[in-house]
Order: sequence, then structure tokens, then C-alpha cells
Amino acid sequence: MQESRIALLTALVVAVGLVAGCASTPNGDPGDPYEATNRKVYNFNDSLDRNIMQPVARGYVKVTPKGARTGVTNFFGNVGYIDTVANDLLQGKGGQFLRDTGRFVINSSLGLGGLFDVAKEVGLKANDEDLGQTFGVWGAGEGAYLTIPFWGPSSFRDAPGIFTSALLRPTFYLMPIVSLPLGAVNAINSRANLLEATNIRDQAALDPYTFVREAYRQQREYKIHDGNPPGDGFDDYVEGEGDAAILKIF
Amino acid sequence: MRNELSRDRGLDHHYRLGKDTKCSAHMKKICRHAIVLALITYGLTAWGNDHLDAGKAVVEKLHASLLQAMMEADALGFSGRLEILEPVLSETFDFATISRIVTGKYWKSLDEEERSGFIDVFVDLSAATYASNFDGYSGEVFETLGVEERRGNLLVKTAIVKPDGERVTLDYLLRDVDGVWRIVNVIADGVSDLSLKRADYTAVIKSEGFDSLVSKLHGKIEDYGAVSR
Repeated sequence: MQESRIALLTALVVAVGLVAGCASTPNGDPGDPYEATNRKVYNFNDSLDRNIMQPVARGYVKVTPKGARTGVTNFFGNVGYIDTVANDLLQGKGGQFLRDTGRFVINSSLGLGGLFDVAKEVGLKANDEDLGQTFGVWGAGEGAYLTIPFWGPSSFRDAPGIFTSALLRPTFYLMPIVSLPLGAVNAINSRANLLEATNIRDQAALDPYTFVREAYRQQREYKIHDGNPPGDGFDDYVEGEGDAAILKIF
Repeated sequence: MRNELSRDRGLDHHYRLGKDTKCSAHMKKICRHAIVLALITYGLTAWGNDHLDAGKAVVEKLHASLLQAMMEADALGFSGRLEILEPVLSETFDFATISRIVTGKYWKSLDEEERSGFIDVFVDLSAATYASNFDGYSGEVFETLGVEERRGNLLVKTAIVKPDGERVTLDYLLRDVDGVWRIVNVIADGVSDLSLKRADYTAVIKSEGFDSLVSKLHGKIEDYGAVSR
């Protein structure tokens, strides 16, 4: 069963790579050579989201008290925390590795399986690391931007992390009768947590695909640099010369 | 006064040392240098703090008006919040520079009328966005965390903190416009509003043209007005 799930994940990642490889557009954003395909996948994901995930997530928010949702978020955050711990180590963050290990142990035990974030109360705040960030810390560029079916924005650098973080979730190895409903609850709860962000997207974006791509890239940079991206990461804001040079803000 | 005192001490010193006038002159020189140095240092620090404080004050002024809009949201309604926020935004943001940046390389091809028209729409859009999003108060606090100088510009670091501890960091980038600090970018949790808008807007100009961008922005302003209380 585990093998079949691993196979499914691998197939998904490979399929995305193949589809992406078939359809490159020459004149677009240089970091997004597969824009034509990505846009199609984006539209597919978006209609799925609007017709199924969003209504379900809104219903879930209506019927579940906030405290319960926080508990669910904490639980799945803790289940996925081994990924952060492993990547602390890969990035050579020794102190953070020890604190995050402590955090995982405390929340898994005193926090009743992760439902309560007790560790935060004793000063062990949650960190956010994954394989894509580790590659970034090691110096890898973003690679081509990708929109992954049923998933969303990613990139060649970040996509393998989807695979490894799934493997590092203890719930992945449970019987399907347990792991599938758990996965569904996680998906609905995660979608609910993003409702505010997608509202902002819907209100502000003129071209939602471009908006999401840009926001994704910046947030990844921000995370790779643990909240302190280098000055130049904010872009040179002007394509031009002459008096426009004064606009080069970072 | 201090200068005179040290000169007196220098004289004392001179008497005690007898005829060694060379040494006394040396001491005086050191004293004078020390005073000049002290004055320069004081002057520099005072200037340094002044311009950092001025930048901080601009952001805090914006935050104060946002807080007012939030606290009196229901009484003011959307149009009331707009009325409060628009003048403050016009005063604290450098919309001319922002407009140039968000239209990217296409700015150069716009004529004067198109440019000033775009700036006007953009000001309205910003006011409508803030008036729509800051539409209620549940104990949020704006914290100013610090100010840094970045290549002649200022980065004012702040955060909105909710009562449950959830926080959104807001970094403001300010540039000097004729001696006044004005905001050119807001970076929320690492996402730069300027870069986001530039990517979004230039994508629309590229595929549909500048006029379509402007009419879409007008549409957004109407949407904000329609959905907001």
C-alpha cells in the first residue's frame, strides 16, 4: 500500500515534469518557460477549488469553532514537523535542530499528540523548513516555475520537497482507512486557513496566475532567508536608464 | 564655557611644566580636536536620529489613520473610511514613483495625460483597498520595530499584532522626495506589494494594452465599494 502511494507521488511529479517539458513558451517570463501549460493547470486547479474546495472549506469554518480549527492546524503542523527537523539538520542549523526536536517531543506528548502548541508557551516557536528551502540555502536557484495539478504553485527546486515531506509524515504509513480521512481533514483545514489569502488575491489580482506566481516566489525567498532576504532580493525596480536610475531602490 | 575651562587647564599645565610650551600647545590641540570631534559626532548622531525618526513618523501617521478607520469602521462606513484615508495616503505615499514602477518598462511609452491619469486611478485604488480591508477592529496593535537605512532609503519595520498573538510583519520602504520621506513599498510577510503589482499590471499591459489595465483598475475600485460595508 505504501509502495503504491509512493508510486503515485512519483508518477505525479514525473508527469508534471513531462507535461512541462513539452510546452515551453519562448517570449514570457524567463523563470516561467512552461507558462502556457502552467496556466492551463492553474485554471484547472482554480475551477476545482472554486467548485469544491472553497465551498467545503467555508462550510467547515461555519460549523467548527475556532478553537477546534486551531487544534486541527496544530495537530497536522506537528505531524509534518519531522520535515522541518530533518531540514534544520540538512541546513546545518544545529541550535534550531535541537529546539525543533524539543518542540516536536513536547507537543507530541504534553500537547496531546500535537493538538495543543504547548512548546510555544515555553518559548519554542514553530519554524518552517522544507527540502526546497534547503536546496535554496545550498545555493540552488528556483528553476522553472511550476503549477502542479491538485497542488498549486511550485518550482523545479521546490517540487521534490512535496514528495519528501509526504514521506516524513507518520500518518502516511497508517492504514488507508485512517490516513485517507485524515488527509481529507488536513486538506479542508489547510484550505480554510488560506481563505483570507485567496480573498486578497481575488480582490487585488488582475491576472491571478501572475499574481500567485509572484507572491509564491517572494514568499519562498523570504522563507529561504528565514525572514531576512538580502536587499537585492527585493528587485531592481526599474528597467531603464537615465533619471529612472534613481528608482533603483534596492 | 567648556572650551575656556580646558584652555585654563592647559595654562595650569603649562605653568606646572615650566618652560615646556611645546607640550602645552600639543595638549591644546588635542583638546580642540576632541571638542570638534565631539561636536561632529553629536551633529551626525542628531541628524541620523532625526531622519530615522522622520521616516518612522510617516509610517506611524499612516498606522494611526488606519487604526482610526478600523475602530470607527461601522460609524464611518466605506465612504467615511475612504474620506479619512485618502488624504493621509496622498501625504504619506510617493504615488508618482510607485506608478512608474508598477507599469515597468511601459511607463516610458505613456504620454503625460496617460501618466497623470494612471496616478489618479492608482491613488483611488489604494484608498479603496485600505478602506475595504481595514473595516473592523478586534484589538489589533501596530508595533514599530525599528528603522534601518538602506542605500539612502529607509526601511521602517513594523507588525500588526492580533490579540491571539498572530502577527503580520509590514516593512515600509521610504524614499526622500524633496526632503520629505514617503512610502514607496509595503512588504507584508516578505511579499512586496510593488513587485506583485508590477508583475500583475505589466502582464495585463502586455497581453491587453494599457487602456485595458486602467479600465480593470476602475473595475476593482468599484468592486471594493460594492462589497464593503
